[in-house]
Parts: sequence; C-alpha cells; structure tokens
Amino acid sequence: MKRIFDTQLIGPFAAMVIVALIVALTTERFLNPGNLSNLSLQVSIVALIAIGSTIVIFAAGIDLSSGSMVALLTMILAQMLKFVGIPLVLALPLILLMGGLLGLFIGLITAYGRIPSFITTLAALIAFRGLALTFNNGSPIFSLDPALEPIFYGKLFGVPMPFFYLVFFYVLAAFSMNFTKLGREIYAVGGNPAAAVLTGINVRKVQTTTFVIAGFMTAVGAILMSARLNSGSPNYGQTLELQAIAAAVVGGASLAGGRGNILATLMGAMTIVIVQNGLNLNAAPSSVQNIVLGLIILLAVGIDMWRAEISGLMGRMFGRTSSQQSSNVKKEA
Amino acid sequence: MTPATPLWEFVDITKAYPGVLANDKVCIRLMPGSIHGLLGENGCGKSTMIKTLSGVQQPDSGQILHNGKPVTISDPQVARELGVATVFQEFSIVPTLSVGENIFLGNMPRSRFGVIDWAKVHNEAARVLAEMDVDVSPETITGSLSVGEQQLVEIAKAVAMDARMIILDEPTAALGEDEIERLHQLLRNMRERGTAILYVSHRLDEVERIVDEVTILRNGCVVRASGETKINVSEIVSAMVGEDIGEHYPKEQNATKDVVLEAAGLSTNSGVKDVSFSLHQGEVLGLGGVLGSGRTEIARALFGTDELTGGQIRLNGKPVRFRREIDAIRAGLALVPENRKFDGLFFNFRASGNVTAASLGGLSRFGVLNLKAEEQATHDLIRDLEISTQAEEKTVNFLSGGNQQKIVIARWLFSASDILILDEPTQGIDIGAKIAVYKLINRLTRAGKSIILISSDHDELLAMSDRIAVVQHGTIVRTVDASDLTHDDLVRASADTPQSKPKEAFA
Repeated sequence: MKRIFDTQLIGPFAAMVIVALIVALTTERFLNPGNLSNLSLQVSIVALIAIGSTIVIFAAGIDLSSGSMVALLTMILAQMLKFVGIPLVLALPLILLMGGLLGLFIGLITAYGRIPSFITTLAALIAFRGLALTFNNGSPIFSLDPALEPIFYGKLFGVPMPFFYLVFFYVLAAFSMNFTKLGREIYAVGGNPAAAVLTGINVRKVQTTTFVIAGFMTAVGAILMSARLNSGSPNYGQTLELQAIAAAVVGGASLAGGRGNILATLMGAMTIVIVQNGLNLNAAPSSVQNIVLGLIILLAVGIDMWRAEISGLMGRMFGRTSSQQSSNVKKEA
Repeated sequence: MTPATPLWEFVDITKAYPGVLANDKVCIRLMPGSIHGLLGENGCGKSTMIKTLSGVQQPDSGQILHNGKPVTISDPQVARELGVATVFQEFSIVPTLSVGENIFLGNMPRSRFGVIDWAKVHNEAARVLAEMDVDVSPETITGSLSVGEQQLVEIAKAVAMDARMIILDEPTAALGEDEIERLHQLLRNMRERGTAILYVSHRLDEVERIVDEVTILRNGCVVRASGETKINVSEIVSAMVGEDIGEHYPKEQNATKDVVLEAAGLSTNSGVKDVSFSLHQGEVLGLGGVLGSGRTEIARALFGTDELTGGQIRLNGKPVRFRREIDAIRAGLALVPENRKFDGLFFNFRASGNVTAASLGGLSRFGVLNLKAEEQATHDLIRDLEISTQAEEKTVNFLSGGNQQKIVIARWLFSASDILILDEPTQGIDIGAKIAVYKLINRLTRAGKSIILISSDHDELLAMSDRIAVVQHGTIVRTVDASDLTHDDLVRASADTPQSKPKEAFA
C-alpha cells in the first residue's frame, strides 16, 4: 500500500484540502449535505474520464477527443434507445464497446501511423463533434428511458451511485498502474520509449492500449452524462477533455510522461470541481469560472516545474530535503 | 610577454554547493603555448572548475590572475572578452544553421545599417576553417555534418573569436580515431601559436599523447600537479583513484571452444553487409572499427531491431529469426546500448523498475507483478554490483554514470541473458567504474556467458577481448586473436581503407 499512497499524493491532497477550506470558509452553503452530495455527482463524470486521460498522459500521449466522444456516444445511445428500440441492458454494453473501439481506432492511427496523439485526438475532437451532429438532424434527443436516470441519481445505502463507480474504477486503475505488467509498461513507455523498445516492450501496443482505456472510460462518462439528463445531445461534453487533462495535471501527472499517480488525478478533479462549486454558490458568471480554471492549471504546472526550488525551500524550512521531488531533473541528469 | 609568466593563474579556488565542497583550494597555472590536462574521476570537481573558469559561476573564495593581474570573470561574456573560449561536452551549436552562422553565433558581423554582413560571415568563416585545415564549406547546414566535424565547428568558434585560452571538456567523447588525430593536430597548431589549452578527458591514452602538463583533482583538491612532459599513465590512474588499482584491465581467459552464436552473411538496410562471425561460450568478441563503421548496426541486426535482408543467425546450432527485440531477449540475447541516457535508462524509475524492465513477463502472473521478488532481486543486485544504495529509494537520474551503467547491465543479469552485446559500456564513466565493468565482464564470461564488446577505446578493446573482428563499411573484414594485435595495428586495420571516403566513414 505504501506504493500507492506515496508522497506524490501529498501535494494534490494538500491543494484539495486548502481549496476546500477556503471555499468552506467563504461560502455558507458549501458544507450543506445537499451541496456535498451534489459535489460528488458533479465530480464523477470528469473524474471517470480523467482516468483515461491520465493513463494516456502517463504513456506520454494526450487525449483531446473525450469531450466530443461523450457527445457522439450520448447521441448514439439516445438513437438506440429512442428510435432503434434496443433495450437499455444491451445498449449500455454496446456504448462501452464503442468507446473502446473509437479509442482503439485513435490508438492505432497514433501508434502505428506515427502521428502525434495531439494531432490524432485534435482531429477526433473536431470530427466526433461533427459525427454527433449527423444524428437526429443535429437536435438533442430527450426522455430516453426512465430506467436510465437511476444509474446517475440512484442511491445504495443512502450513498449516490456515482460514488461507487468512482471507487470501483479508481481502485481498479490504481491497482493496474502499480501492480500489473501493463501499468509498468505504460510508465516505461512514457518514461523512455527508446529504452522500452530495446527492453522488448511492445511500445505501439502499449500506446494503443492507453487509448482503448481512455475510450472506454469516456464511454462510462457518456453513459453517466446521458443518465444525468436522460437525453443525448451533440453539445454535451464541451471542454470536458480539457477539464479531464486539467485534473491530471493538477494531480501532478507530468505531461512529458512516465510520472504521476492515478489517485492524484481524483484529487485534481475534486480540486477543480470544488472551485467551480464555490464560484457557482457565489453566483460567479461562467466567464470567471473559466478564468479561474485557467489559473489553476497554470499554477499546478508551475508548481510541477518549480518543484526543485520549492522542495529546496521546504527543506530549508523544515530542515530536511525531500527525495521524491524529482520530476524535472530528468533533463539535467 | 615572457613565456615564464602564466597566462592565467587560479589560486586557491574554493567553491561549495549545499552539502558538497566541490573545489577546495584548487590552484592551476596555465602557460601560453601549453596543453594542460585536467583529470580526475567523475564528481572530483572538474566540471565545477570549468564553470568557474568560463564565468558560468563565481568561486566562493580564491584569486584569478590574468597575465599576473587579478581579474573577476563575472559572466561568460567577460570570459569571452578576456579571450577564454569553452567547448563544452554537450555541443552548443545550432544544427539547423549553417557552419558560418554557428561560428559567429551571438557575435555576427554587422554592416553599417545593422543588418548582418553575410559576405564577411562567409569570408571570415572560410578563413578560420582554412586556417584549421577543415574542409567544410561555411554554407553547409551544420546538422548534416558528422559528429566529428560538428566538434571541429565548435572549436572553430573559439578560433574565430581569437581565444587566447581554450577549455575543452571531453572533446573526443564522440569522435572516431582519425577525427581525434585531426583534432590533436589542430591543438598542436594552436599550441604553436601560443594558445593555452585546458584539456579535460577520461581517455588516458590521449592524455599521454598530447598533454604537456597535468593537474589531477580528487575530492575537489589538487592531488598532483606536474610540469613534466613525460606522464606515466599508471601513476595518473593511481593519483586519480587514490589507491594503487593494480591491473587496469583485469582480463580473464574464459573462452571455450563451444560456438553459441553463429552469424552467416547478415545484411540489413541500415548498412550491414554480409557479416559473418561465430561467438564462443565464455568469449569476449570485440568489434573494432572507426565511428560509423557499422558496429552498432551489426548489434541492431543481431538484436532484431533492424530487419535482416539476408543471412542467417544460429543459436546453439539452431536457426533463429528475430522479428522484434522481444524475440531476441527471449532467446537469451541482451543489448546494453551505446547511449545509456537515451536508449538505456528509465529516469522515471528507481533501480528496481530499471532492473526488471526486460523481464516483466517472467516477473508477473496473470499480468500481476511480483513486487516482493522485484525488490529483493534489486536489493541483491545493488549489493552484488556495488551500486550506490541510493538507487533503491531514488530515481536513477540521481546516480553517477558508472552506477547508471551498472544498472543497465544488472537488467540483463536479472533476465539471465546468455549473450550480451555491450555497446560502448564504459563511455563517459570514470576509471573506478570502468574497472568495475571489466570485472563484471569477467564474472559473466566465467559463468559461461558470451559477450560482444563494441568500444572506441582501443586499449580497452584489445585488453578485454579474446578475439577482435575489425569492422569496415558495415562488414567484418577480418577476425584475429586480440593478443596478435597492437594498438597501432588496430588503428590501422580499422581506419586504413583504400576505398574509404570521409563521408562514407561517418555515414
């Protein structure tokens, strides 16, 4: 367990607690049980998608496609439920499969076509949004299935369902990244692809796999999005990909690849959502929210970049040096 | 100026970093027209000293005298104005610019209107290159030159600014034998003209050849300063390491008659042509040749990295075909690549992740890794190979080059490979670590493993190999017992090629 709960979690955890404290002190309604429950619902979609985005980042890729893929998949789900008449129990696995296949498609083009993932997923970001518009003449589809809503709003032992999805997928992801061959290979590919090739790791297969995971997790997010609003819309998920990447970055994942802790992404997502929630409760306009989100990302990356200096400062303040703050020494070594 | 006055004198230079005294009262006198060697193991304070001399950082205490007058080298610009040029180990040329542009980078001649005077750039650059006897056009894009030629351009920058003192940090690390000779000739010419040269190198054979005086640092202190022209290598080594290390090359004879690997007529699209050889159990087969002769490409062909367009590899008599690296690894081959930083190490991992990277399949069951076994094996290997125990807790970027190299080799000990291809295994590591690598080679061959050794250090190759295959233009021209070759034979055998054109040799 020491391996999973390592020092990489301290920073993101501290950031989350500090942000929560500030919001709690300045906003009365923040600690209302109703608001906290709402908060966990809000964080669930972005945090689940961020699992995929983070794993792609661990392998030194980037996934910009998830927001548009959410829109596309909600439209396909709506089409299946409302117009094709496919039952929900069949439609949901199909959506998960489709998410995985779209990810596979992106992954194959990226890894075997040797096109940078920034480009392939940027193309997908634009194209998926367009594809989503080809359904139902580009109009949203409402009132899909009464059985859909409990997936998002349902409760088990009084706890909202999304909480269980978060626990399930984050435990699975943390286990995979820290205890499995695949997880190790993902970190290896992100850390040094040339060395990975020479140690017999199938780099392209690993890269492709990360996009399959990302596609699958995006499908999970799309199902929750549809369930939350009992609808599908080509406009859903705008900037969701950026929020998911922001969650990874605020959680300390290095965009250069190879470094980061998947559980920190959950904290990153919470931090972002708490800030948004606080601004919402104080009736801040969405323009301000975007500005603040931008600043948070900048600050998070800045802290990552200045890690050596900060840890030196902390060392002097607390009389010891931290050994784990190493993310940027790579180039100098 | 009388030659008796030192051009530069550094007196009691002391520099401390948090927790480390990098330089402790170091004194160096640099005479005009003299090549001064600065030697010492990694971490002895050489880099710190160079940074101080070139104005990159300030000493904590001590005095710097230029022609007998105290000066302060407050930044690199001041150093430049005082006629000090530094050629750092990592090149500072811009590969996309022309040779002329690089030579005058940051110091471009301008015409009256403030625009760059291209005619002057090219004429001046051409003059400098001609003076250096370098046959490169100033208009050539620098990135298209061989590494050796790029190094010469780097030095041309120093010549163009009319430097009175040139600091060269490991100038030959990336050069082949003939290029080294060319560089040395250039340095001798500069010495004739009264330039002071500070020469930093790990290659003692070169030091012996070219250096007039030597200063050896250990733990930040000067342990030996010599004005003698005749320098004894073994004395230098003892002074550097701080103890009598005995045999510099502790070669053991472990070769047997059994052939483990047989290559017949190997060819690839990357320039390997009709390569045939056999490797015996317990043998060290050295691949000799100039830089770019195709030795690394032969390694890649054996390891399944480059596809074979012809030929056959047999392992223990059975024909094998490696479509990818993993096939070669499974068959018991291992490759320690030439550049451990770019191709060998995972800097995001501690020692454990680096050691097991090639054996994850064997270390896992149903895809789940056995982390206990991993930690235990790493712990044992670290003790066994005398790797810094820091490697267990910290990511490997914190380790010295020697420790890093041992970790890359440890990876293949862990995977229990039978045939190891070591491509420049001692490049850029200090003497103590080199000897550790040699001992490791002995241990491997004693255990019945076979080694293909690629090295540009001819002394090392001669001393550590049982047989040597001389590689020219991607093919093995002959294979001889190492004991039948001398240093000069090997240099001649690998470089003396009637059909060779310089371009081809660098390709």
